[in-house]
Amino acid sequence: MKDLLRPGRMWRTGLPLKKRYDVVIIGGGVQGLATAYYLAKNHGITDVAVLEKSYIGSGGSGRNTAIVRSNYRTPEGASFYQASLDLYDDLSAELDFNIMLTKRGVLSLAHSERALATATERASVNQKLGIDSRVIGLDEVRRRVPALNTSRDVTWPILGALIHPGGAILRHDAVVWGYARGADRRGVEIHPFTEVTGLDTSGDRVTKIRTPRGDIEAGTVLSATAGWSSGICKMVGLRLPMKTYVLQAFVTEPIRPLLVETVVSTQMRLYVHQTTRGELVAGAEAEPYPTYQGRSTLTFIESISRYLVELFPAIRDVSILRTWSGLCDVTPDYSPIIDRTPLANFIVSAGWGTYGFKAAPIVGVTLSKLIATNQVDPLIKPFGLHRFTDDRFISEAASAAMSH
Amino acid sequence: MRLPRRDGETIDRDDRRTFTFDGKEVQAYAGDTIGSALYANGQRIFTRSFKYHRPRGLSCAAGNCAGCLMEVDGEPSVKACTRTVQGGEVVRSQTISGSLERDPMRVVDHVAGPVTPVGFYYRLGIRPKAAWPHIERMLRRMTGLGRVGEAPPKPHRADVEHRTAGVLVIGAGRSGQEAAARYAAEGRQVILVDERAEYASLAIDGVEVIAPGTALGVYEGRLVPVHADGLMHRIRAEKIVVATGSIDQPLLFEGNDLPGVMTPSAVRRLVGLWSIRPGTRAVVLAADEAGDEAARLLREAGTQVVETIDLRGVRPPKVKAAARHGLLAAVEIDGRKIDCDLLVASAGRQPAYSLLAQSGCSVRFDAEKGIFAPDQLVDGVEAAGSVTGEGAAVLAAAEGAGKRTFVCPCEDVTAKDLVRAVGEGFEDIEIAKRYTTVTMGPCQGRLCHLHSVRALARATGVGEAALGTTTARPPWQPTPLGDVGGRKLNPGKRTALHDANRRAGAQYVWTGVWRRPDHYGDAAAEIKAVHEGVGLMDVSTLGKLYVSGPDAEAFLDGVFPNRISTLKVDRVRYGIFNTDSGRIIDDGTIIRVGERDFLVTTSSGGVDQVYEAFLLWVAERKLAVDVVNVSGALSAVSLSGPKAREVLSRVTDVDVANEAFKFLDVRQGAVAGASALLMRIGFLGELGYEIHFPSTAAEHVWEALMKAGAEFGILPLGVEALKALRLEKGHIIVGIDTDSETTMLECGMGPMIAWDKGEFVGNEALGRMNERGADRALVGFTADDLPNEGTAVLVGGEVGGRVTSARRSAVSGQVIGLAYVPAAIGSEGSAFELDLGEGRRGGAKVHIGAFYDPDGERMRG
Repeated sequence: MKDLLRPGRMWRTGLPLKKRYDVVIIGGGVQGLATAYYLAKNHGITDVAVLEKSYIGSGGSGRNTAIVRSNYRTPEGASFYQASLDLYDDLSAELDFNIMLTKRGVLSLAHSERALATATERASVNQKLGIDSRVIGLDEVRRRVPALNTSRDVTWPILGALIHPGGAILRHDAVVWGYARGADRRGVEIHPFTEVTGLDTSGDRVTKIRTPRGDIEAGTVLSATAGWSSGICKMVGLRLPMKTYVLQAFVTEPIRPLLVETVVSTQMRLYVHQTTRGELVAGAEAEPYPTYQGRSTLTFIESISRYLVELFPAIRDVSILRTWSGLCDVTPDYSPIIDRTPLANFIVSAGWGTYGFKAAPIVGVTLSKLIATNQVDPLIKPFGLHRFTDDRFISEAASAAMSH
Repeated sequence: MRLPRRDGETIDRDDRRTFTFDGKEVQAYAGDTIGSALYANGQRIFTRSFKYHRPRGLSCAAGNCAGCLMEVDGEPSVKACTRTVQGGEVVRSQTISGSLERDPMRVVDHVAGPVTPVGFYYRLGIRPKAAWPHIERMLRRMTGLGRVGEAPPKPHRADVEHRTAGVLVIGAGRSGQEAAARYAAEGRQVILVDERAEYASLAIDGVEVIAPGTALGVYEGRLVPVHADGLMHRIRAEKIVVATGSIDQPLLFEGNDLPGVMTPSAVRRLVGLWSIRPGTRAVVLAADEAGDEAARLLREAGTQVVETIDLRGVRPPKVKAAARHGLLAAVEIDGRKIDCDLLVASAGRQPAYSLLAQSGCSVRFDAEKGIFAPDQLVDGVEAAGSVTGEGAAVLAAAEGAGKRTFVCPCEDVTAKDLVRAVGEGFEDIEIAKRYTTVTMGPCQGRLCHLHSVRALARATGVGEAALGTTTARPPWQPTPLGDVGGRKLNPGKRTALHDANRRAGAQYVWTGVWRRPDHYGDAAAEIKAVHEGVGLMDVSTLGKLYVSGPDAEAFLDGVFPNRISTLKVDRVRYGIFNTDSGRIIDDGTIIRVGERDFLVTTSSGGVDQVYEAFLLWVAERKLAVDVVNVSGALSAVSLSGPKAREVLSRVTDVDVANEAFKFLDVRQGAVAGASALLMRIGFLGELGYEIHFPSTAAEHVWEALMKAGAEFGILPLGVEALKALRLEKGHIIVGIDTDSETTMLECGMGPMIAWDKGEFVGNEALGRMNERGADRALVGFTADDLPNEGTAVLVGGEVGGRVTSARRSAVSGQVIGLAYVPAAIGSEGSAFELDLGEGRRGGAKVHIGAFYDPDGERMRG
């Protein structure tokens, strides 16, 4: 309550940039900040600088639609994201900052026999790992989401759904700010508006990080720059097998409570949930062509609006307030790359597609361990770069197609 | 109460209309808006605010703020001040519990103010953890503006028109009209758009006027959606002129959100358009000539103007508005109290540059005028009038941030909240916006953006120019989903036989973009017909690519993993398309119709992807090959069953004797008089022919074959029969039995690969995987219980794969299917379990090869 009335400063601002840090993290998004937080908390490493080219959380962390879940298709993916979900579940207390996580469940609609088969498969894999996830019939879909049009007289009638009661929504910015505050209080330096403009290498090491505010040296360098990873890695001559796409979302005016669950339709390439404030947040899958151009497109809101109204006839007259877009970096198998690189002191976390935010806490825990102890946690082992040369992909394409 | 008839008023006093507001009947004239009629009838509180449930009323009367949001005929959050009265509307107030005048939630404003500062919810409800879900549910019930789903949605036409414009002028004020007239005089095709209803009757020579119509945004390629009464004009413009003018900015002072505090433009509209006296005793505080104009209009309207203060060039006075029963009752200026029921207040005008910014133009802060104005325009976009910053200026807010000084009335964000956010470290405009939610409400930042940047600039000591602006995002006005989405359209592909299928009783199913017959009433009978008599299936959905040229053979050898150079003319061969990483994209057949000519078929859904890949590979390898997509030009049917030969013989001039037309042979000839390409293949397991012919002859060929087969009980076949019949043969369907990672090696197709022929698409990856051996195998299986497709395969209690297809065999009565299993158990007879759900498990055994006619005698005979 004291904190409520006199919140005090969240973090220090205007810090000078030092010449050297033990660890430099490029990217002040949720993953970079989480890693900084756990480096300080779990490993006592506090000589850390987080360099962010804009304000913290300005990239995917502030543009995603704040859905966290673990009903992935592969056992590797499902275990990894469940570990993240467990951390999220306790994160408000951990950070002493309410991230407003609410486990309202994720309902993925099946409009075809094929989609039911994928749902069945995901449910089987999930249940084996102790994740609450099951296929439900049309009657239960109706009961759970009365606003849904479950008649046959639609483009794609609903046959059933995959329900994942543990799936949640939360306030994404709060996670960024909570981690930033926690890291700052433990001595980590956060430097917003400090863009990395170059990385010098010598032999197998990154020797210098160039910024307009001066050059820095670091023991270890982590790139946690999501959509911009290709550019950062290019600075050290590293080419990652991924492409960057633009992803769009919109929010409506707040309305009285209508939806509890997040509703996903892969067939319609959309998902929607209602925030605690009452807004409907809807998004689509990535645009079909790679681009860094971050403008919203009209086609996107037209198609999502049309399908949303077909799914929920009652929201026909609810107005769209704002549209936005973000970048996502996609690998051939829709699974991430979290690994050391041929450069001994350069680590990457990239290729997150639409999953980077969901993974942030577990990425922070496992990456800080990798940086501090050089040990690869079993949870991230499958997501190494080696899988592309070994042809051992972790295929999340089926659950990635749309299910954010 | 109306003033005597005035020149220029938009109301038609001879045309009376009525609507209901919260159940009470309200009198209006044609030309009124819901808001003006309510105001004329004495209504002052229009809605309550989002967070504190403070009373709010008409403050801009121009659709720029959220002071008048109401539900109209079930549509939530309508800006009542700009919604024209049609008559008969059912209007309800929203964001209230209780009534507008007595909302019990207003207690939040009185008691909770000090404990609900900006960001308070981030600090509440953390411990105990178990309490939070209850708090969250309570918060949900308290928030939200409009209701949905209570009234049945009104019938509503929403449609899209695709338009072009030589010049699109947005904004029909003086500058917009001038620009439109000028371009029309030059002979350009001009469209003029304005969101205000009073321009509906505007007429300019050679100019099409859309009013009221709202330009929602400027998208790539100068695409501007204009929303006009349910119709979305999607206008591509050669040139755009933005003449959106400037917007009255509120003056910041304690109580600036009270009903009774208005901008000068509200006075201009109330008096000028609707002949309404805005109040009885008024004080005017303004920073431009609009104040004088408002004072003059008020006097004309019979309002007593007690005091007019021109704020330009004077020390900003300390202003405080006081309320009685939620309405403005007095204003205190530098400690001097003046009773009044109307306070006209404005800090000046800020250019409405949002559409310009969306088009890519840069925006800079003009420190002298205190406004953000457009700077560098982009090609094809012009700005005209006060949107350029010409004549616009805004006063800096007075010092002292009160706890009831609303910077952002939509979100109830006060000046004090912003100072507090900065104190907490949210120093940048974007991050402060996300923390305080300033500018994120229904006004789209029209009234709060400039003030919030300036408040932050002062609190941080960083200049406005350095802080910059937030990104301007579409839409410019909140727009209903139904109007944005337009008419429901289901673009789907139909074959040339669609109508013939429908006449035959087809029940359709979506397969990708195609609508295909799932069955014609009885799938089991269709399956039986193929095994015992004959069936006819429309397979026109197959992709068809004509590949020809000197390098055609070399090209196909470089694409397919099997050898194409050994394929003789008039023969057909199965083929798989892979990605560079050796994963299956699609499958199909390669038909050699000449030395340099091939027809390649693909699956129904795969053709676009394969066609694109073919073009890329041809270009990359610089080959002399033409690839033509003839999918639509050719239709195809598959005639299968022991009686297929006899049926075909009756309608073709091709010799169909077994020795003359062998399995995997290709023939060209006439079928029912139409020129056709015939091939003998056996996807369905029985004697079968696939016949391709021009789509123009499709129905004729179909009817001829159905007629010829009548005496053998021929039946049309749907997709369900196809799935069941091919499963008997163990044939895969790409997309059902494969996923994005499936390789040929896993499907037992390794022997097809001609490793020694040199490079082909995916050879490197497949070679490496071949050396290592596949981890999993796609195998046939038999089982006791019928599993759902997708069911997990359990090996040693662990998930080891999944079922991709399963049916009860019409032939053996046994459960048969295809499943991924670990490669280690991928041999005939290996046992595994199926996870049937709810703890039940079923036994299954691996079966290698076809379930039905394993030696293929029936399709070869």
